[in-house]
Amino acid sequence: MSGYQDKIKEVALRLLKDGSVDMVIGFRKGTLPMMNEPCFIRRPEDVHQLVWDSNCGINLANYLTDRKEKIAVVAKGCDSRNIVTHIIENKIKRENLHIIGVPCQGMVDKRRIISEFGDTLLDVADDGENLKIKIHGSEKSLKKTDVLQSNCAACIHRNPVLFDELAGELVPEQAGVDRYAEVNRVEAMSPQEKWQYFEDLLSPCIRCYACRNACPLCYCPTCFVDESRPQWVGKSQDPIDIRTFHFLRAYHCAGRCTDCGACERACPVGIKVRQFTSKLNKDAFEMFGWEAGMTLDERPPLDTYKPNDPNDFIK
Amino acid sequence: MKVFTIDKKEWALGIEKAKSAYQVLGPVKEKEWHCFKALGKDEQPDMTYTNTRLSPKFLVQPQTEPMFTYTLDESRPDHHILKEVQEDVCPKAVIGIRPCDAAAFLLVKRNFDAPQYQDPYWLKAYNSMTFVGLACNDPCPTCFCTSAGCGPFHEAGLDVLLVDSGDRFLAKSLTDKGIALLAAAGWNSLADDAGKIEAMKQAAESRIASRISTDRLKAKETTHIYDAPFWEDTAFSCINCGTCTYSCPTCWCFDIQDENRGNTGVRLRNWDSCMFPLFTMHGTGHNPRGAKMQRVRQRFMHKLKYYVDKYDNGIQCVGCGRCIRLCPVNIDIRKVCNQMNDYDPAACVCPA
Amino acid sequence: MNLMEHMGIEPGRLQFSWISSAESTKFVDVVKTVTASVKALGPNTTYNKQAVKVA
Repeated sequence: MSGYQDKIKEVALRLLKDGSVDMVIGFRKGTLPMMNEPCFIRRPEDVHQLVWDSNCGINLANYLTDRKEKIAVVAKGCDSRNIVTHIIENKIKRENLHIIGVPCQGMVDKRRIISEFGDTLLDVADDGENLKIKIHGSEKSLKKTDVLQSNCAACIHRNPVLFDELAGELVPEQAGVDRYAEVNRVEAMSPQEKWQYFEDLLSPCIRCYACRNACPLCYCPTCFVDESRPQWVGKSQDPIDIRTFHFLRAYHCAGRCTDCGACERACPVGIKVRQFTSKLNKDAFEMFGWEAGMTLDERPPLDTYKPNDPNDFIK
Repeated sequence: MKVFTIDKKEWALGIEKAKSAYQVLGPVKEKEWHCFKALGKDEQPDMTYTNTRLSPKFLVQPQTEPMFTYTLDESRPDHHILKEVQEDVCPKAVIGIRPCDAAAFLLVKRNFDAPQYQDPYWLKAYNSMTFVGLACNDPCPTCFCTSAGCGPFHEAGLDVLLVDSGDRFLAKSLTDKGIALLAAAGWNSLADDAGKIEAMKQAAESRIASRISTDRLKAKETTHIYDAPFWEDTAFSCINCGTCTYSCPTCWCFDIQDENRGNTGVRLRNWDSCMFPLFTMHGTGHNPRGAKMQRVRQRFMHKLKYYVDKYDNGIQCVGCGRCIRLCPVNIDIRKVCNQMNDYDPAACVCPA
Repeated sequence: MNLMEHMGIEPGRLQFSWISSAESTKFVDVVKTVTASVKALGPNTTYNKQAVKVA
């Protein structure tokens, strides 16, 4: 881990000094345990702020759009796939980016740790293999692989797919993980059970839109929920309107989602919002053999036509 | 002001008794976190909780609140008339609210109960409540109430302050409303060790290590802080969600919407947030706070400068730390507040 | 459609068809099948906002 961090700093320093980029986008140490803050570095003397550990779950591809600078960005596997998606969708130009790829071993599920240890958590130290959790008067060690975000635990694309240089050796990809276990469980339910499952899932939603805003895919100048002429969705706490927001948001991510988990991580009330996008990811994979952001050379299935596209839903 | 002692063995009975005179609300654990809920028969508040995930401001200002209903059906005698939705104003007892959250209502009250205008919805709800606070013996690491004009044993805004003292609660009555509630619950044994509260208060306060500095905010030139260069850095990571404002006990902004179906409808008041572009969008299409940095700056300027200037009564923050804990990208109001308080335009050397 | 059914809309309530303006008989057939299958399901009681519901 600290090896990654040193290498990231070294690369950032070189790029800023030789003027090949205007800014480096990475993470700096946060003010809370298990929180790092996305930041930009413009001056070589600030490079020391950059950190890397298993609390860098925010997707930095979200910070690259609508900027004029030449940018170096620190990117783990999922971030790099979102960068590919941005390039395909003409949101950013490849030549304006210098991608510092970070082979990733998964991000820690901070919500799980907080719900287990409470808000009185003092410090969480990460030694690469284990987490040392400090609470009032005691300390506990957890194996990191046991407390990964659920999307990371089931990730099969940990290595960046697009990069200019790497911050460390490529890591072995996980095999034999079941990416769609929860989707399969819901698929087996009756329509009434499914309805109830999502009713319970969404009941704590406060419509803060953290899920939408944390997502690199959600870059519309005006989101459909913010349109007022016409107004597509009611803006109250009505459960039908809340559901409409969530599943329409998911539809907009069909064939684009990299399952980076940023939405779920951002949610202040712990809703498993990936339950919507995971279903679409599974469909994209089963129907079109498609995983978003793996290559610059192929158009996504939903913006291109192929004669053998499955169409048995049309009757 | 009197201090009573309540044996924890008699606690549940008192709560049940109070239910005959009040609707009793208290913290209960739902899914992973605590939330204030109306308690049914034999349901007890969980007095061992740390704090609720979201603030209890929704008790007074619900996220969605029906204000009026109307119909355009001319066969009805009341057609084309806005009819006020009657609020439930039965007496409510809010048991176990944290002192910071109760104090927050007083800050918000300055807005909803101004000399010129009073908001009837907010005031009716607020006035129907009796607040029985639970002092914080073990504050969270993100609590900074003591330097935000509040504290773990803060009394302003409460009708009764409860202090957990092992096998019993010490209950300090602070208002007539508080006395009435204690009587309704049948808690009437006076404590002989009321002096203990002061020592526990000091112990709790000394446990709060996290502090902000606000002493120079008022004297600062508004435009100097407004134009300060640090906002770009502060706002960079912000994703412009509404988590900070929606979890905040002192954020009060709202939006009014009509929802129609056929020829009947309802006028609703929904929470809104200065983080959202739509919040300031004009009918012309012009948006005076169209950029993310402007919206982030607005939130902090409102809480820590405009409010201070307008009411001359401290900052619009009680130091509960929710926005710090819940922010998806770790924007920390403590850091921003200190930056604003320390900012000196003459000393600023902007990066070329 | 898959996601709609995944979140609890009954199969058969939402249908897609591609009908050319020249295919009048297909149009009639589709309308008949769709109305029959939706009638068999009964009224939509879940994804249907009658009036705003707030807690």
